[in-house]
Amino acid sequence: MSLLLILLPILAGGALFFLPRTDRTISRSVGSAVAAITFILPLTGGAGTFHAHWLARPFTASLHFAWDGISLWLVLLLALCTFSAVLATNMRETRTMVALLLMLEGTMMGVFAARDILAFALFWDLMLLPPFFALIGWGEHRDTAWRYLLYNFAGGLLLLLATAAFGVLYGSTDVLGSGSHPVIGGWASWIFAGFAIAFAVKTPLFPLHTWMPATYTESPSPMAAVVSAVQSKAGLYGFLVITIPFLPGAMSEWRWAFFAAGLVSLIYGALIALVQNDAKRVVAYSSLSHLGLIVLGIFSLNAVALQGALIYIVAHGLFSAALFLILGYVAEREGTRSLLRLGGIGAYNPILAGAFTIAALAALGLPGLGGFAGELVILTGVFRAGYFWPALIALIPIVLASAYMLRLLQDIMNGPEVKDIPQRPDLSGFEIFAVAPLLAALLVLGVYPHPLTSTIAAIFGGRP
Amino acid sequence: MGDYPVLLIIWLTPLLGAVLCWSFGPQLKRNAGALGSAAIAASLLATLSAWNLASQQNGTQLGVQQHLFSWLPGFDFGLLLDPLSLIWVLIITGVGLLIHIYSIGYMWTDNAIARFFAYMNFFVFSMLTLVLSDNFTGLLVGWGLVGLASYFLIGFWFFKPSAVAAARKAFVINVVGDVGIMFAIFIIFAHVGSLRFGDVFAHPHALDPYLFLTCVFLFIGAAAKSAQLPLHTWLPDAMEGPTPVSALIHAATMVTAGVYLIARCAPLWSASHDAQVLAATVGCLTALAGASLGVAQWDIKRILAYSTMSQIGYMIMGVGVTAYSAGVAHFFTHAFFKACLFLGAGIVIHELSDEQDIRLMGGMRNRVPVAFWSMLAAVLAISGVPGFSGYFSKDQVIYGALEHGYTWMWAVGLITAGITAYYMFRLFFLTFFGTYRGTLPPDQLGITTGLAGSTAAIAHERHEPHGETHTHAPAWIMAVPVGILGFFSFAAGYMMMGPGSPWARFFANSFPHQALPPATISEGLTSVLAVLMLLIGFAIAYARYMTPRAIAQAPARLKHESQTLPRVLVRLYYFDDLIELLVVRPAQALGTFFTRWVEPHLIDGAVREVVFTNRFFGAVVASFQTGLLRAYALVIVFGAAIFAVYYAIAGGAH
Repeated sequence: MSLLLILLPILAGGALFFLPRTDRTISRSVGSAVAAITFILPLTGGAGTFHAHWLARPFTASLHFAWDGISLWLVLLLALCTFSAVLATNMRETRTMVALLLMLEGTMMGVFAARDILAFALFWDLMLLPPFFALIGWGEHRDTAWRYLLYNFAGGLLLLLATAAFGVLYGSTDVLGSGSHPVIGGWASWIFAGFAIAFAVKTPLFPLHTWMPATYTESPSPMAAVVSAVQSKAGLYGFLVITIPFLPGAMSEWRWAFFAAGLVSLIYGALIALVQNDAKRVVAYSSLSHLGLIVLGIFSLNAVALQGALIYIVAHGLFSAALFLILGYVAEREGTRSLLRLGGIGAYNPILAGAFTIAALAALGLPGLGGFAGELVILTGVFRAGYFWPALIALIPIVLASAYMLRLLQDIMNGPEVKDIPQRPDLSGFEIFAVAPLLAALLVLGVYPHPLTSTIAAIFGGRP
Repeated sequence: MGDYPVLLIIWLTPLLGAVLCWSFGPQLKRNAGALGSAAIAASLLATLSAWNLASQQNGTQLGVQQHLFSWLPGFDFGLLLDPLSLIWVLIITGVGLLIHIYSIGYMWTDNAIARFFAYMNFFVFSMLTLVLSDNFTGLLVGWGLVGLASYFLIGFWFFKPSAVAAARKAFVINVVGDVGIMFAIFIIFAHVGSLRFGDVFAHPHALDPYLFLTCVFLFIGAAAKSAQLPLHTWLPDAMEGPTPVSALIHAATMVTAGVYLIARCAPLWSASHDAQVLAATVGCLTALAGASLGVAQWDIKRILAYSTMSQIGYMIMGVGVTAYSAGVAHFFTHAFFKACLFLGAGIVIHELSDEQDIRLMGGMRNRVPVAFWSMLAAVLAISGVPGFSGYFSKDQVIYGALEHGYTWMWAVGLITAGITAYYMFRLFFLTFFGTYRGTLPPDQLGITTGLAGSTAAIAHERHEPHGETHTHAPAWIMAVPVGILGFFSFAAGYMMMGPGSPWARFFANSFPHQALPPATISEGLTSVLAVLMLLIGFAIAYARYMTPRAIAQAPARLKHESQTLPRVLVRLYYFDDLIELLVVRPAQALGTFFTRWVEPHLIDGAVREVVFTNRFFGAVVASFQTGLLRAYALVIVFGAAIFAVYYAIAGGAH
């Protein structure tokens, strides 16, 4: 029963391949039903835990999964984003895309629910495959798919090596969420390096981000939505549940490097986003920028900043997914993503414009939506931890974010109507239903993030 | 004193109105105006019912409170209605109600009238969030939301490129202010551990040695929102919004949020002399700069915008020198006379089918008498004619500067008063007197380019091309609010007369007190000098625009004036150019540099290995057919390699 959350999406995804290639209705219904089940089950506490022995030598490892604590929020985010992405899928070979989305969900469920680092690492590698196949099937350049896979596999390899070393030193990898006894000794730094590089690639963090812009831009929108919204959080989640409890020494030793990388990502990503003319590329680089902020919060190791980090992890997932889906709607309607070509489509697409506005406002940190709460609490914590200048510098990209997000929004939606792009009808019921839960969740999170902060406070509350 | 739930009604009714107007726009159509106005009226009535409790000491608490919820320890939300917020809420809901009613007429033929009222109600809700919050986080939330409402309403006619650009500019500059307040929050949270006003203000020196820095960052927020130098450039552009928006948001309420912030943080300001010098200096210079720029404008709304900037400069100067009740008094009277000026100007603009250039006006006295008489009262008030409201509040501010030892600000304040009288009477004479010039060819008046708001194309886009365009709102619906505002422009100052005035008693417990030595120049003499400056400004305006000769030669004179305006004023002291040159261009250049050079060469160059590997693998598997087969094969190879490594380390399963 408790493995259901992992197996159901994967098996259902596999089963979809028995449907005809041209199917839309059945695969979308099955996909959204599966995603809905995987959302409701953990929410009601009905997911339970799963525990089975796996390895005894040279260290103990278990197939151990649980759906509570920080995992719960990421699992909910994953299920919600998958639900939205499945509903929004409307393309050549919808069936195959939905299948890939479900398999992606299943493998990522494994990542976020694993209580064993080895199982975490195993699912880490598996979750790279569905986006890879999506890029092979729908991407614009085959190189992009390979770059995504090899780059992240290289990270996965380091993760595996670090896991093995951790297991040998620690005696067990079945340790996540069980309190912490820090790893000490000379190996700690090497183990940390393995984890940290893998996580930094996945997030991504400057200068390890080169796979990201093309991947997000060329992936079909539903896949880009889930990958940018949830898969990018796997690294941040890893920092929270693995390196903070078990490698705190190495973490504070290397803090300056991650502060630097986080700050550079923040500003560098924002400046690039300011001048992109491909709408999806604006969002891709904004992701680089926003996730740099979360890295800053995590590496400040301050309880308040960590609470903000979880808020922002979920908020970024929600608005990033919403933005990619909405840009998908736009591109599907107008046949282009170029900000130089598009314009004025809000006049005859008021619902599309409204949804886009909410998502863009969340991304630029409007109070009342999730992003703001995350930014404010993260940086308050960073400052509290004694980092005056990083907190101050990190405010600049917030101003830049309002500039590039409004440019994105207005260049597409506002201004005079462009005569030579097609005028299509506004969002269909399906399309609205796909993004509405994401936007509603952003509002709830922005007004009342207390459930998330109390999760973190219960785990890291003892920190200064 | 426990919770006082009436605050929830005051606060949330406008939000409800906004949601209803938004959700049922197509069904409501013009009734959205009535619904929106009713929501504001309900909020106003609730406020009036809370008046007594809010304005008095209840136990240890001044005013009434309502606890809301908490994000995490330190980030607690709640509402507070005390004398200071009460004044703001009264203006927001009271003047707001009048402007809502007026808007029913002004927006009558606009297709998007329901959307308009949804935004307006949302603005009122946001502004109430700002002034009712009992903590810095809630204030910041309101601060951001009013920025959003302002963005929506400036860009209300979103098909118009100039409106879109103005909306974006206003929003981005205001975010600069938001992050200023954010940084102040960081400092306060780190040093006090709470963001509630009561906790923070109880011991201002807990912030040492960062007290001044906190004030600096708070002031960045105030400056951006209240259009103080050098963050003022968005305000004149914001006139792209419909005129009632300019009256409510960009004159009476939102732009005075900076004044509210400093008055609210009076304990911090009173504890930091440097902060006083900073705020007062910037306010004083803004008053002068705004007034001098108002002299060189032709767009009636832009003149009023620079005038607003200048008047807020006075208010900031007032609260900056710690003459808090004087600064707040000027906010109070300004709300009436400036809203009156904007709404009157709106009637004129409406009458002339969206024309805003005063060179194309003239002789409007007989065509729109309500606007004429109301604006007359407002012009006399803003110029500081004795007996009119502005006279009382402005003199208090100017004298306050002197009293607190800032003689040069006192002098600048007096000079600015003279300039104010000049540009206001210039506007008034050119608009209402002489003969109508709208039929003259624009180049005869020295008009080279059409003004932003004056194209017929906008009117065409705004209104339905057929059918209802010809129906008109009842005339009173715009006239009555303007008349009421005109009356208050005259009368609102009397409660501020003298040291024991009702106004002073009202704020007796709100602000820190300071014993002051008597100033060298008396308050009476200050008033005499202010009136003298007013007369000089009036006389110049009269000589240039109102003498029979000037009226006879008006077109030629206007053409001459248009062509000989000092370049430094026409270029608005080069603020826009400097921001473009120092901030916008460098950011774009860096972004372009990163995109073109760093991304492809440096970052990707560092991972050529991966690309090489890719090609290498590509060669290895070239014998496979292209497509998925190749992918599967490679994944299997890679996966096997990983598991080999894994077993080598782990030593096999049990």
